[in-house]
Amino acid sequence: MRSPPAGRQGALLSLRLYVAGESPNSALAKANLNAALAHLPKSELTLEVIDVLCHPERGLADGVLVTPTLIRLVPTPEQRVIGNLRDRSALLAGLGFEEVQGE
Amino acid sequence: MRDRDAGAEASDKISSGIVGFDEITGGGLPRGRVTVVLGGAGCGKTIFALQGLVAGAKAGEPGLFVTFEENPEQIMKDAKRFDWKLSAMKGKGVEFFDAQLSQAIIQGGEFDLLGLLAVIGAKIKQLGCKRVVFDGLDVLLGHLGDPALIRGEILRLREWVYAAGLTGMVTAKADEHGHSASDYAFLQFIADCVISLQHRVTAGAAIRMIRVAKYRGDAHSANELPFTITKGGIEVACGTSPELHHSVSMERVTSGVERLDAMLRGGYYRGSAVLISGAPGTSKTSLVAAFAAAACERKERTVYVSFDEAPAQIIRNVASIGIDLTPYVKSGVLTMCSLRARADNPEAHVARIRTLLDRQQARNLIVDPLSALAQSFDQAIGDRAAVQVLDVAKGLGITTLSTSLLANAAPLSEETPLGISTIADTWMHVSYVSNAGERNRALTIIKSRGTSHSNQVRELILSDAGVTLADAYISDGEVLMGTLRWERENEDRRAKQTAQTESHLQQKQAELALAESRLRIEAARTEQALREADLQRVLGARVALKELDRVETVERASRRGGESTLLAAAPRRPVRVHR
Repeated sequence: MRSPPAGRQGALLSLRLYVAGESPNSALAKANLNAALAHLPKSELTLEVIDVLCHPERGLADGVLVTPTLIRLVPTPEQRVIGNLRDRSALLAGLGFEEVQGE
Repeated sequence: MRDRDAGAEASDKISSGIVGFDEITGGGLPRGRVTVVLGGAGCGKTIFALQGLVAGAKAGEPGLFVTFEENPEQIMKDAKRFDWKLSAMKGKGVEFFDAQLSQAIIQGGEFDLLGLLAVIGAKIKQLGCKRVVFDGLDVLLGHLGDPALIRGEILRLREWVYAAGLTGMVTAKADEHGHSASDYAFLQFIADCVISLQHRVTAGAAIRMIRVAKYRGDAHSANELPFTITKGGIEVACGTSPELHHSVSMERVTSGVERLDAMLRGGYYRGSAVLISGAPGTSKTSLVAAFAAAACERKERTVYVSFDEAPAQIIRNVASIGIDLTPYVKSGVLTMCSLRARADNPEAHVARIRTLLDRQQARNLIVDPLSALAQSFDQAIGDRAAVQVLDVAKGLGITTLSTSLLANAAPLSEETPLGISTIADTWMHVSYVSNAGERNRALTIIKSRGTSHSNQVRELILSDAGVTLADAYISDGEVLMGTLRWERENEDRRAKQTAQTESHLQQKQAELALAESRLRIEAARTEQALREADLQRVLGARVALKELDRVETVERASRRGGESTLLAAAPRRPVRVHR
């Protein structure tokens, strides 16, 4: 049902972010996520941003209810974070890298 | 249609599928608009909204049910209690969309409904939906916390519904006064139509109430009305629907009392509502039991609902007047059900009766007494419930006999405490008539639609052989009853006997006179014969004398010279002469 992680094999972190066009919450979420991921090596990360206004069927398939919705596909289990991701600790918890933050 | 400034069309409204609701709103839900259904937990919001979708599906308007609070599976399961055949509609007119936020989801800031609406929009396009329900929207928006944000999203949702050309329904846990969730009270300001559902306790009984708090651009009944949840879903007790579609039967069914049938010119009409009112002990139950027994004898399934009196007690009581209901109960043709009037609200009782009728496929219904529905509750609610019972039965073509208790204070004022006398087709009143130290039962047919019924007051007699009506004995313009009637009957009998004896006597006298005259004729005939014989003899004697004379003359002539001895002896011969 769910499409496989859009990244290449071996990515340590695979994410999918659902946004709704350039709505304020969606723009904020993208910015907040990018900031949180800034220090990660590009080789270890896959990020797919999907605009549900253009691809509602993707959102339907993934059971997206609100925008923005961030889905962590890898590492498993899947974890979802909703909202504009301004809550940094919630975002990091969702990404599963509190340890990384501690470095 | 209601008055409206702009020319209103029938298509402005779509049927909600809810009995009574379409009537009070003059057509149903506003088409292409958003209707908000507010109410506390367990008020029936989900049922209300789902029923709207089911009605849409039946009308060829598919709908999508977006659920924020419950599993679609759970909703489907709950809906099994209704006869909507929802499972058959799934995917063919009614579709579900599970919009429950997982408990595991982390909230990392403010969000909006843009994603949801985009996703739902895709689904709606795919299914060709015309109606959409957002059930329990407060659950999702509750995550936003900020009332201003919640309002923003609600507005967004409304605009989306408008733009998509859908008819929308939103349910949320809040009452119209905003007691429990003030943020959602805002819903009623932005909505085109606001329905408030309540489940409250009155006089110890739970009552469901519905109110159309708002209907933009339209006159509507803003009254609070009771509603009930039946097998068909929500039913609003609006009492009198503007249009009646009951089919009418010309068939008559016996009342179980032969002489009453005669008064009614053949019995009750099938499918009609018969009301028997009267003071306690005026044998209302006996009359309905007689009807029940006759119906069961015809093998017609009959439901006997009694309030505050156990079936066994009724069976025992009517057995004393020769009506034995036991075999009918055993064979299943008669279903007796006793309800406690105060144990539940009138609406629930109506629903129960409806279910019973449905399950038994009943042709006859007895509610004894129907007035119990009004007891201890708000009069208006009770009245409506009573009307509803009759309405439901009529709709199903069921013949209904109901009784209504009247206070004995004014036994002949003939006012039913329930406003059901107008909906009843036949209304009979049984009262006590006190006369000459007795109380006798008197039955009057106050009205019987479509029947040239007798307008006589008749005495109702209960005996081991059942219920019957006595012959009307009228004296000085009053119907005689009880002992007075008995006396009059005896008097009449005596008078008749006397008259009979008299005529017998007269006949005998006449016969005697006839016989006498016959005898007289006989005697006269005998005399006549005798006299005729006499006459012959006289005539004969005369001829003999003449001959004798001639002989004498001849002899005298021959003896002119001799003696005439024979002549001297002739006068001594005995000759009979006339008296």
